[in-house]
Amino acid sequence: MLNKLADNGVVRSRAQGFSAAARQVFGRGFGPGFWIAAGWLLLVALCAAFADWLPVRDPLDPVIANRLNGPLTTNILGADGLGRDILARLVHGSRVSVVIALTAVSIGMVVGGTLGILAGYFRGHFERGLMAVLDVILAFPWLVLLLALVAFIGQSLMAISVAIGFLWIPAYARVARANTLSVVQREYVLAARAMGASTLRILLREVLPNVILPVLAYGLVAMGLVIIVESALAFLGLSVEAPQPTWGGMISEGKRHLATAVHVALVPSVTMFLTVLSLNYVGDRLRSRFDVRESNL
Amino acid sequence: MTDDRLNSQSVLRVEDLTIRLNSGAGTVHAVEAVSFALARGQTLGVVGESGSGKSVMARSLMGLLPRRAMAYKAGKVVFQADPAPAQDLMQMPEKQLRHLRGPAMAMIFQDPMTALNPVLRLSVQLTESLRQHLGMDRQQARRRAIDLLAAVGIPDAGRRIDQFPHQLSGGMRQRVVIAIALACNPSLLIADEPTTALDVTVQKQILDLLARLQREHQMAMILITHDLGVVASRADHIAVMYAGRIVEHAPAKTLFSAMKHPYTEALFNSIPRINDPSHTRLQAIPGRPPQLVEPASGCAFAPRCQYAQARCLEQTPPIVTVPGTNDHKHACFFPVSAAPGQESVDD
Amino acid sequence: MTDQIPCHLRERDDIVLRILQLSVNFPVGKQTVQAVTNVSFDVARGETLGLVGESGCGKSTVGRAIMQLPAPSAGHVFFNGQDMTDLAGEALRQTRTGLQMIFQDPISSLNPRRRVRDIVAEGLTIWGRENADTRVEEVMAAVGLDAASAGDRRPHQFSGGQCQRICIARSLALDPDVLICDEPVSALDVSVQAQILNLLEDMKARYHLTMVFIAHNLAVVKNISDRVAVMYLGKLCEIGNTGSLYARPAHPYTRALLASIPDADPLAREQASIDGEPLLQGELPSPADPPSGCRFRTRCPYAQARCAEEIPQMQLVADDHYVACHFPILEPQAVR
Ligand SMILES: Nc1ncnc2c1ncn2[C@@H]1O[C@H](COP(=O)(O)OP(=O)(O)OP(=O)(O)O)[C@@H](O)[C@H]1O
Ligand SMILES: Nc1ncnc2c1ncn2[C@@H]1O[C@H](COP(=O)(O)OP(=O)(O)O)[C@@H](O)[C@H]1O
Ligand code: SF4
Ligand code: SF4
Ligand SMILES: [Mg+2]
Ligand SMILES: [Mg+2]
Repeated sequence: MLNKLADNGVVRSRAQGFSAAARQVFGRGFGPGFWIAAGWLLLVALCAAFADWLPVRDPLDPVIANRLNGPLTTNILGADGLGRDILARLVHGSRVSVVIALTAVSIGMVVGGTLGILAGYFRGHFERGLMAVLDVILAFPWLVLLLALVAFIGQSLMAISVAIGFLWIPAYARVARANTLSVVQREYVLAARAMGASTLRILLREVLPNVILPVLAYGLVAMGLVIIVESALAFLGLSVEAPQPTWGGMISEGKRHLATAVHVALVPSVTMFLTVLSLNYVGDRLRSRFDVRESNL
Repeated sequence: MTDDRLNSQSVLRVEDLTIRLNSGAGTVHAVEAVSFALARGQTLGVVGESGSGKSVMARSLMGLLPRRAMAYKAGKVVFQADPAPAQDLMQMPEKQLRHLRGPAMAMIFQDPMTALNPVLRLSVQLTESLRQHLGMDRQQARRRAIDLLAAVGIPDAGRRIDQFPHQLSGGMRQRVVIAIALACNPSLLIADEPTTALDVTVQKQILDLLARLQREHQMAMILITHDLGVVASRADHIAVMYAGRIVEHAPAKTLFSAMKHPYTEALFNSIPRINDPSHTRLQAIPGRPPQLVEPASGCAFAPRCQYAQARCLEQTPPIVTVPGTNDHKHACFFPVSAAPGQESVDD
Repeated sequence: MTDQIPCHLRERDDIVLRILQLSVNFPVGKQTVQAVTNVSFDVARGETLGLVGESGCGKSTVGRAIMQLPAPSAGHVFFNGQDMTDLAGEALRQTRTGLQMIFQDPISSLNPRRRVRDIVAEGLTIWGRENADTRVEEVMAAVGLDAASAGDRRPHQFSGGQCQRICIARSLALDPDVLICDEPVSALDVSVQAQILNLLEDMKARYHLTMVFIAHNLAVVKNISDRVAVMYLGKLCEIGNTGSLYARPAHPYTRALLASIPDADPLAREQASIDGEPLLQGELPSPADPPSGCRFRTRCPYAQARCAEEIPQMQLVADDHYVACHFPILEPQAVR
């Protein structure tokens, strides 16, 4: 009888467990804001992926007649100082933003994340040494460091991604290390060791899955910052070389026409603003969602 | 007769208190139709397992539940501290309630580690309510605070008062929490698992301290715990809670000598006894406490109850008085020690 | 001193686990926390040893030191005659599988991102055992879980009691000789606690386990143990068979502990003899700076000058009942 009743308990809790888990992951609580932001990000990603096939004009084709025309005239979002279509340039520029954001964040995540997990797991001299090095990197003004890196490795899309990615290593190492420290204290790690699990197995099976979600969520927020960093580089004329359109480059070119044609700088600024905002918002919501799940455990 | 006398002297009278809360999974029926009365100088022990609604009940008495979480509330909480007239706390606006917390009613929480503000010295935390409610000046309040610390058994109170919470052990912190709660001489003290986080030796010290202070101040006290042992010798009356309801309520001695509710009996039998020889098989209660989200009709204990019959699944048993007594109540169709199959008389 | 064998260790052939002069120190800043100092005990095959004491007295540290997680600062742990402190690397990993642990917080003992089936099978997978699926189903059924319905879910869909069942199943999968239970029921509700205690007794019989059962609840420890060891501030105070130790506690600290228990049965309480015991005063000293001589002397109502100078050694006070006190309380007591 005991078993039968206990099993009833299992069944009941399973039904509740499923619906509660489903409610947590989907729908309830995310709200429309989240979905709007996520939709915008999807749109940007699609533009970046399919820029060449989208029905937009040639972003490099200067049509002198359209110079500085406002939005909803000859061009949907207006034209820039050389008469190039802003919409087309935005769409093609999103490529640079997306590629740099993805590559830089991936580099930061993989290198920094790995270092952070190792530091958090092994502690000791390795941790102290690594943290000291990271502190030194963080203590440098990032712009100076970036300029030095770009000067050193060049101005190609990849080079800039790598340079920005390098800057992100310390931040990721810290996030990963902090999460690892708290996971390692959990008794399931001890239980795995008691069972004879090797260090590599513990890192891959017990630690990594619990560290990767907070790190990924942080990655979205970081992407927003990377996009801003890229535009700062563009402002200094150090981003990807012209004529390849980039959002930062467009804003930077637009500043010359601020007095006469605000839209040239405003349109890419707003685009970038919305993208960064969406990344932050989605990243934040996801992160708090994971936290809730953790605390519900 | 006793009921009337009780009522006239009651510091607190709770009638059909019902609290439902919003949670991620739906509406939690945390407290359902709870009624009891508490006289001056008396202790009511409230026993129940985790999630049975003890804390929600305690917080709702103090009006401390977050308004946002509240889905539904009903019932009366009549509070009367002489010479003020009786008043229903459920109807009282927050502003007025705030003036009662401290001088009229106070609460102690389970975790002494988090009940104190870690960045403020004890002196600040102790004198705050003294100055606010009793209008003392800084010097007066400080002197009284030192007396309070000494009264709860903290050695070297004059030095300790300038320390921070982290410099104290768990037991000392709980003493400080008690000192803060008692600073304004409340007429009702609600202690929500005051010793659950503490070791047995410290638990005994704290319970002895509470008993002494209660005697000295003639306070009414609600002592909440999940440990039958804690209330057995410390409470005048005991209320057993299960799934948000009081399922049995009796004077302490009566409860242990003539328990009526199957849950009380099962709970009592499942505890390992220090007097039993080793390896005595425990009578575990099968299954686990129910979720309080959208509960089904019928007796909440039915899935785990060895006396359950068809009726228990259909109707919710009302709370009834045991014939021949006036203060022993239970909510069960087939109470323990009634002949099998025979229903309690006055349901 | 380390080579001297304490008198409370038994000369028997069926000793599975023998702890000899175990010490564990943790460096904390400039200080050293002496979490465990010179603790010795042994556990015979099929026996359950209860380890009690207040929080922070070093119970968990002893449990982990037995598993060499981390290895003790000094002393020996003999498991089936093999000194585990001599082992390292692969040999230690291999030997350690004969001992398994269950922890206090069933929820933080389970990796939230893994399925229950994988968690229970972990040990079998690591060691590449055959018929892992059958074994997983068998141990899950043994602890009262249905592998088919429960196996594919994740730990957060279970209650605390069920999580503790999963932990027990996981520890049994590798068929260990010794099970170290570190407060396995402290986080559970009373009604569920009884289920788990009964389950542990059943599993012990079914899988021929030897257990070390750590807890702070003396009634729980009495229920499950054959012998009990009492710890205070990193030291063993008293050890003996359960009957004798609970009936005639000889160490002042054991008596204080027993006198503090609130008894759920007010009717039985009136005959308890130990109620007259003075209440413990004062605070637990810091394990970074323990008192000289007897560590309990700062709070002991019977302390005398000798207690500050000389560390009390274990002495026999009754059959299989030893106490480390200069002035043990030996009057016969009413049976509890
Ligand atoms: N703020 C809240 N919002 C929603 N639900 C809540 C809230 N507080 C408590 N609950 C729910 O109300 C029910 C009763 O909880 P309560 O804290 O009163 O239990 P308890 O008896 O005090 O348990 P414990 O012994 O663990 O302290 C539980 O199901 C709990 O999840
Ligand atoms: N990793 C650690 N670092 C420093 N001190 C520790 C560590 N683990 C335990 N301690 C200390 O050792 C003592 C014993 O701890 P523990 O064995 O956990 O006690 P118990 O299990 O009896 O409650 C405590 O004072 C504790 O603070
Ligand atoms: S009403 Fe029925 S199910 Fe509920 S406690 Fe009584 S006998 Fe058991
Ligand atoms: S040795 Fe002395 S101080 Fe220690 S317990 Fe015995 S009497 Fe008390
Ligand atoms: Mg509570
Ligand atoms: Mg412990």
